[in-house]
Amino acid sequence: MTLEMYLLLSAVLFCLGLFGALAQRNLIAVLIGVELMMNAASLNFMAFNRFSVTDPSTGQVFVLIIIGLAAAEVAIFLSIILNLYRQRRTIDPESITELRY
Amino acid sequence: MDTTSLILATTFAPFVGFAVAMLFLHRSPRLAQAVVITGAAVALGSAVQLWLEGPVEPLRYLWFTSGAIELHFGFLLDGLNLMFGVVVALITLCVIVYSVGYMAQDPSNTRYFALLAFFEWAMLSFVYAVDLLQSFIFWELVGLASFFLIGFWYQKPSAAEAARKAFLMTRIGDVGLLIGVLVVMMTAGHFDIPGLLDPERGLIARVAPATLTAITLLIFVGIVGKSAQFPLHTWLPDAMEGPTPVSALLHSATMVAAGVFLMARLYPLFLAAETTRCIILVIATVTALLAATMAMVDRDIKKVLAYSSISQLGFMLMALAAGSLFAGVFHLITHAMFKALLFLCSGLFIHHFATNDLEQIGQAGGRRMKLTSIGLLVGGGALAGVPPLSGFFSKEEIFAALGHESGTVFTIAALAAAFLTAYYTFRMIFLIVLPARIEPAANSGGTDHGSAEPWTMVLPVAVLTVGAAVGGLWGHQIAAALNLQAPTHTLGSMLPALGVVVLGIALAWVDFGRGERVGFLSRLPALQTLFSNGWYIDTFYRAVFVRLTNWLASLLHGVEVKGLDGGFDQVGFGILRSADGSRSLQSGWVQFYGGCIVLVVGAIAVYVGMGG
Repeated sequence: MTLEMYLLLSAVLFCLGLFGALAQRNLIAVLIGVELMMNAASLNFMAFNRFSVTDPSTGQVFVLIIIGLAAAEVAIFLSIILNLYRQRRTIDPESITELRY
Repeated sequence: MDTTSLILATTFAPFVGFAVAMLFLHRSPRLAQAVVITGAAVALGSAVQLWLEGPVEPLRYLWFTSGAIELHFGFLLDGLNLMFGVVVALITLCVIVYSVGYMAQDPSNTRYFALLAFFEWAMLSFVYAVDLLQSFIFWELVGLASFFLIGFWYQKPSAAEAARKAFLMTRIGDVGLLIGVLVVMMTAGHFDIPGLLDPERGLIARVAPATLTAITLLIFVGIVGKSAQFPLHTWLPDAMEGPTPVSALLHSATMVAAGVFLMARLYPLFLAAETTRCIILVIATVTALLAATMAMVDRDIKKVLAYSSISQLGFMLMALAAGSLFAGVFHLITHAMFKALLFLCSGLFIHHFATNDLEQIGQAGGRRMKLTSIGLLVGGGALAGVPPLSGFFSKEEIFAALGHESGTVFTIAALAAAFLTAYYTFRMIFLIVLPARIEPAANSGGTDHGSAEPWTMVLPVAVLTVGAAVGGLWGHQIAAALNLQAPTHTLGSMLPALGVVVLGIALAWVDFGRGERVGFLSRLPALQTLFSNGWYIDTFYRAVFVRLTNWLASLLHGVEVKGLDGGFDQVGFGILRSADGSRSLQSGWVQFYGGCIVLVVGAIAVYVGMGG
């Protein structure tokens, strides 16, 4: 396995996540897309750590922070979605556009 | 009392009267009158005392220093100032006392008397000023008092407009005067009047003749504005919108004479500037003749007197320009007396008959007001130059001065103006005293209307009647005060002056003393129209300057509204429109924002990637 393989996988993962985040009509699917993008980033960190830095802890620190961040984010995101659904009975991002001019 | 406290009493007593009346006595006009009259009386008393004590060294108090320039406030106490100060204080007191009766019915009594006191303070301070800048400051304050008093009945649109006109037209002159004063400062480095007039160290010794001519001409521009000379004379007839006592005080006797006084004050400078004197002589002659023709046809008694003031001021300036300080100052003082008298008499008529029209006053029985008619006769006689009244002597001095110093043209012009003066004065007198028919007295019980007037109005008229009658005898005192030799005249030199007066009165009698009461001018309709429209000078100003100014103003208004305002509006609207267009980007759709972020970050990445 070379570095390019890892980066390619990570890019595919990121694009899938991006597509999910931008194109899905369900906020939970959007959340999943965002998580995918974060995992792609984590994968990148680990790959670079493996191939170009000798000390393994450098990348691992970042990845651990990202995982923690993602967990917090999921908690907030889900609670927002929950409240939104209670109030609006919908979780379609295209129909929640009140915050504009 | 010493000189310092006397001069302070003279100048500040009216100011105290003004301040107290204006600040505290709005609700008690009687008290305000008492305070103002007391102030004026104190001023007159101390002015007379100063005059009796004779000339002393000027008093100077340092106001402030700026670099090499020292500004003084102070009092110049020489013969000319002391004499004119007494005249001003006397006439002001007369007019204020007279106003008690004249303005009795007016609700804004206190304001009126306070303004008169304000005027007296400014005028006396101007008269006694030792410093040219101080003169200028009080000259402006006098103009301000004139503005307030002309527009005293500001509810009347015509009065408000007349006040504005007077203020603006004198302002044209004052700009010239201010520049002149500043040029004096630049060339001499100080404003001290005695220092400027000093023959060895003064202005004459220090500046080139051309500069001196420029300075005197600039000062003369101020005089033209203030003393209502051609071509800035048109404000004075309109100024008659003010109360009649104001016209008597400001617009005939004292304020308009301030210009002539300033020229007399700075006389050595003018004497040294030959060219300036030539120009002054021409303008003064034109003014004297022009104004006299207008006075021949006007039916409004105050307008006739206003035109005659302009004409007489022209006479004074002619005398000064011809080189006779004495003749100019003499006529200034006699004119102040008899013209104030005439205005106060006209005020009595107007007060009684509630009309300004000469014929209406005559037909309503003007001559039944005995004392007023006597005053009118004495004042008119003095104005026309009937011996032995005051005007005869002073005018005769002017003819003599013109005969000595200037060409025959000016002497003839002056004689012609004197002829016209006699004609229009006696036209006025005959129309009032010898009307074609007199309506019977309105109330059969009242026999003598004159005695029905309050004594406060009659007393000043009586005082001024005496002054106008005997003023001609003061020639020697006036000459002595000016350190001049009073010229003596033979009967032969008096003959032409006497001749034109007799001719003028005779013609006036032929026209207005009998028969139809129409002037010979009515047979010359073109001239009649020309004269009664004031030679169309005002019409010309309205058509040219006023319209030009209005046009310019509307042009600039357009530039401002369309150009400046419009430009800024367009900038604002442009921002507004672009914001309108771009705000649709803010859709509120989260995924759209995300896409935008991706695009922008992608673009940056590509840019960095290509560059790196």
